[in-house]
Amino acid sequence: MQILINNHPVEVLEGETLIEVARRTGNNIPSLCYAKEAKHKSSCMVCAVKDCKSGQIIPSCTTLPVEGMQIDTESEEVRLTRTLSLELLLSDHRADCEAPCSMVCPNRLDVERILGYYDAGQYREAVEMLSAVFSLPEIACDTCKAPCEKACRRGSVDQPVSIRTIIRELSAMDGKASGDEKNIGYVKDKNLYQSRLGRFTDKEKEHLKATTVTTSRCLHCACSGREKCRLRLHSTEAGIKRSRYESSSTLPIEKIHINGDLLFEPAKCIRCGLCVYNSDNGFTFMGRGFKMGVVLPEENKANIKKNLAELCPTGAIYKQG
Amino acid sequence: MTKEEQDKISNNTLSQTERTDSVIDRIGTGRSDIIPLLQELQAEFNYLPHEAIERIYERTEIDRAQLISVSTFYSQFRHIPLGKHLIKVCTGTACHVKGASNVYDAFIRQLNIEEGSVTTTDRMFSVEKIACLGCCTLAPVVQIDEKIYGHVMPGKVDEVIADFIENQTKKENGESQKTRRHTAGEVRLGMGSCCMASGSADIYKELQTASTQLGIEINIKPVGCVGVCNKVPLIDIINANGTIDRYPNVKAAEIKEILHHHFKPAGYLKRLKNSILGHIDTLHTDITWDNVVWKPEHERTGLISSFLHNQKHISTEGFGFLAPLNIDEYIAYGGFEALKKALTTPKEEIIATVLASGLRGRGGGGFPTGKKWEIVASVQNKHKYVICNGDEGDPGAFMDRMMLESYPFRVIEGMLIAAYAVGADKGIFYIRAEYPLAVERIKKALELCREHKLAGANIAESNFSLEISVFEGAGAFVCGEETALIASIEGDRGFPRQRPPYPAACGLNELPTLVNNVETLSQIAYIVKHGSENYRNVGTEKSKGTKVFALAGKISHGGLIEVPMGITLNQIIEDIGGGVEGGKKLKAVQIGGPSGGCIPADLCDSPVDFDALTQLGAMMGSGGLVVLSENDCMVDVARYFLSFTCDQSCGKCTFCRVGTRRMLDLLDKVCSGKATMTDIDLLEELALNVKRSSLCGLGKTAPNPVLTTLKYFRHEYEEHVKGVCKTGTCKDMIKYVITQDCIGCTRCAKACPVNAIPYTPYEIHTIDTEKCVLCGLCVEECSYDSVKKTGKKENITSPCKYS
Repeated sequence: MQILINNHPVEVLEGETLIEVARRTGNNIPSLCYAKEAKHKSSCMVCAVKDCKSGQIIPSCTTLPVEGMQIDTESEEVRLTRTLSLELLLSDHRADCEAPCSMVCPNRLDVERILGYYDAGQYREAVEMLSAVFSLPEIACDTCKAPCEKACRRGSVDQPVSIRTIIRELSAMDGKASGDEKNIGYVKDKNLYQSRLGRFTDKEKEHLKATTVTTSRCLHCACSGREKCRLRLHSTEAGIKRSRYESSSTLPIEKIHINGDLLFEPAKCIRCGLCVYNSDNGFTFMGRGFKMGVVLPEENKANIKKNLAELCPTGAIYKQG
Repeated sequence: MTKEEQDKISNNTLSQTERTDSVIDRIGTGRSDIIPLLQELQAEFNYLPHEAIERIYERTEIDRAQLISVSTFYSQFRHIPLGKHLIKVCTGTACHVKGASNVYDAFIRQLNIEEGSVTTTDRMFSVEKIACLGCCTLAPVVQIDEKIYGHVMPGKVDEVIADFIENQTKKENGESQKTRRHTAGEVRLGMGSCCMASGSADIYKELQTASTQLGIEINIKPVGCVGVCNKVPLIDIINANGTIDRYPNVKAAEIKEILHHHFKPAGYLKRLKNSILGHIDTLHTDITWDNVVWKPEHERTGLISSFLHNQKHISTEGFGFLAPLNIDEYIAYGGFEALKKALTTPKEEIIATVLASGLRGRGGGGFPTGKKWEIVASVQNKHKYVICNGDEGDPGAFMDRMMLESYPFRVIEGMLIAAYAVGADKGIFYIRAEYPLAVERIKKALELCREHKLAGANIAESNFSLEISVFEGAGAFVCGEETALIASIEGDRGFPRQRPPYPAACGLNELPTLVNNVETLSQIAYIVKHGSENYRNVGTEKSKGTKVFALAGKISHGGLIEVPMGITLNQIIEDIGGGVEGGKKLKAVQIGGPSGGCIPADLCDSPVDFDALTQLGAMMGSGGLVVLSENDCMVDVARYFLSFTCDQSCGKCTFCRVGTRRMLDLLDKVCSGKATMTDIDLLEELALNVKRSSLCGLGKTAPNPVLTTLKYFRHEYEEHVKGVCKTGTCKDMIKYVITQDCIGCTRCAKACPVNAIPYTPYEIHTIDTEKCVLCGLCVEECSYDSVKKTGKKENITSPCKYS
């Protein structure tokens, strides 16, 4: 069977969906709710393409090609549809990609990560970061007005984390920059899309106060799944700075321990359902419409397999560490 | 189940687990049994108790993930127990424009229900909003348990509750029944849901007692809906000479007199006694109330004649005289002739006839029915399904309910013919659980059909067999979409799925499935019996036949009408509906419910036709027709429909789940007066994209109410941005004030539920706008017309009397 993609004839292989044909023939189509070899249902519409004959916008991830189809994957119209669907998803996504403290640091120090090492007792790594970022690590943050402490989300709960005191404590320790690329200490790229968490509700504040047990008191609001997050990737590619739609999201801010080192943060979920369709009596939908959420009943936690973290297109399900 | 076990159940001493087990034994343990199973459990316990659910996990294939997913998707299921009696406040379109939300608030206040709860502290009453009870002509409507109350105004809430409690006590006293020997005449009485709501059940009882008392042996015959819902209860007296006398709006107290007027009692003595008593009765009644009997005939029924004039009856053939569940009568009037004719005709020929008739699906989309049949018939498979889609979910539409209730045999006949033509061996009636009467009648009708060999094996002595069952929908608008409907029968959430493959090729249980709407099936018998030519003569070039509409809203005579395609909207409103209620000016007609649009008054001379309506940005939809007057705010109407679709969206796809929510946010902003002109543009862009990029019918049509109002009433949106709602509908932009006409009678102060009007006798009253909840009770209460609704920013020109 042959179809036209962006006016170029391409051959369709047995059983391929549109997205598979397009990607195999070098047409880049972004997608979130689709995963090869996994059960999925079209939902996100980030893989939208246009069927030129009917003029309809269709999801390429589940549509099977038919003879003589003419598909457009790159026109302005298609791109705008994808951008809009990303904007809509982002308006219901309560998360910080990078922690606000790291974003405001004049020295570009990834503050949240250093606090992570501190809380884990990995002082050597923390000191390494300091030596990599500051030419005089001994006096690292002493002269700074500490915008990090002003931006700290913990500040809206009770008191901000005393970041400078902790840095001072670290800088007194011995250590050197290892030159390890992985531990360079900067926020990698500030040009990536930055999702912002917004305000905590009073209930969440109480919950956070009661459940945060880190030494530094840091909430670690930076997303642990940001490296693999395709929502962030595609939003960056689409040039989105901020969703034009005001968020009225009520997703709860919480970190739920699944099993082993797997964690689930419902506030980051885009309801694509990959984890629901690909777990047996594990994750499930609850409610419908805008209020529809993905939940994991306590009794089902044991049924969750590790590969779900890779399947999840956002940082909602991830492996700790 | 043995008799012993049955006794045990009625014993009521069983434990929760035993009761659960008995339900499971009765329904089944498969994954696809989940919806009927939960429905039965809820019927048993009034909610879904935790222990019962745990028992399901133990005993059936249903697991935790499936149960949570399904039970939270359908609005029927409850996880917390409600009060003993459930008050359902209808928030359908017709009820909404007549102030349903104020009625809901009034119930909450009257019953002293605490914030965040829906149940009274003594657990006697619970209050909930419901999408539509399908009694739109009686708006605002409230249902308490099985009893429906029409025209409930916020100030009448206490009376409704009192009446209900009184009725409850009466019920417990029991009823007596007597049989009569022979009949002197016949009285027909409409027994549709609307009629019941207006008190037909009471009339029926009164007819029984009165005829026994008077010794008049009459045949009381409950018939289907006549459609004149605004004039019910309505009875027809069939005189000895065959003429019919019609009495609209009868009251129970008038029955005795009407009977006496028309029939002579059997015995001489009784006759004498009655003539004296009757005379006294008449004298008495004549003075005390406006007596129907003595009104001239034309005054009594003239209005009904004009209502019924201009209509054409195909789906509702036999209205007013066919008893819904009398199969012999249906047969006597030519019923099942079409089926018998079909069974001796080659299948291809039937499909060709339906194709030639030009019949298009009445569910909304307007897909040619014959074409659909052709596709299903062409798929080779030993087993196929036919599903009758009776999941009518539009707020403001009740045609399907009426047809299932009043003409069950016609719909069944249509299904039998369809099944025969496409080669199906299984039929399913999918009916909303909110329509208990329709479910009951179809079940009864199917039983009768089986007895008469008109369903089941070897129908009408042919070798065609069809097993028909009934599936009750659990409350999800999206299940009107055929793929979602199929998913729900399979025991899943009602997620529509990507087509192709179409259900015609791969539907229920992956078998070829034909899904037709109730109304579509009800037109089949006519087409087969009278031929496609005859059918084609009715309607326009591309839309053939008739369409049933539920006419409601601000209309003088609402009701259920069947009109030929091509009739103009003005004809419907003026000639059939008698114009806008209260002589107000027509502003727009909302057609097609949440999927349709608003057609402005100056375009109402356009014909009712699938394509003409689509061109105007609306759509035929399933047939709700809500008339809007100059007192209605179009932004509010758009917001109302969007809040409905937003709530009913299944939640699978981004554009529908988040998109409709963001549109609603923007509309909320407009209605609160905080929006800017940019917000209107943002709204329009989003609406266009949701329409274009949604995957199923729900999302694709959800923006229609917004887009049409933006197209035809953009100035109203712009006024709202400036902080003015000229109709005084949007609560954030209005306040109530008391004028100098006030005489200080304190009635408003007493009526105010939130004490916003200080009790100051003989002084001009004042309203504390901080406390005021804008319920409008003071306006209703004031006899001096001195409470006025005004704009916070600008004076509102339109009259403010609560409407």
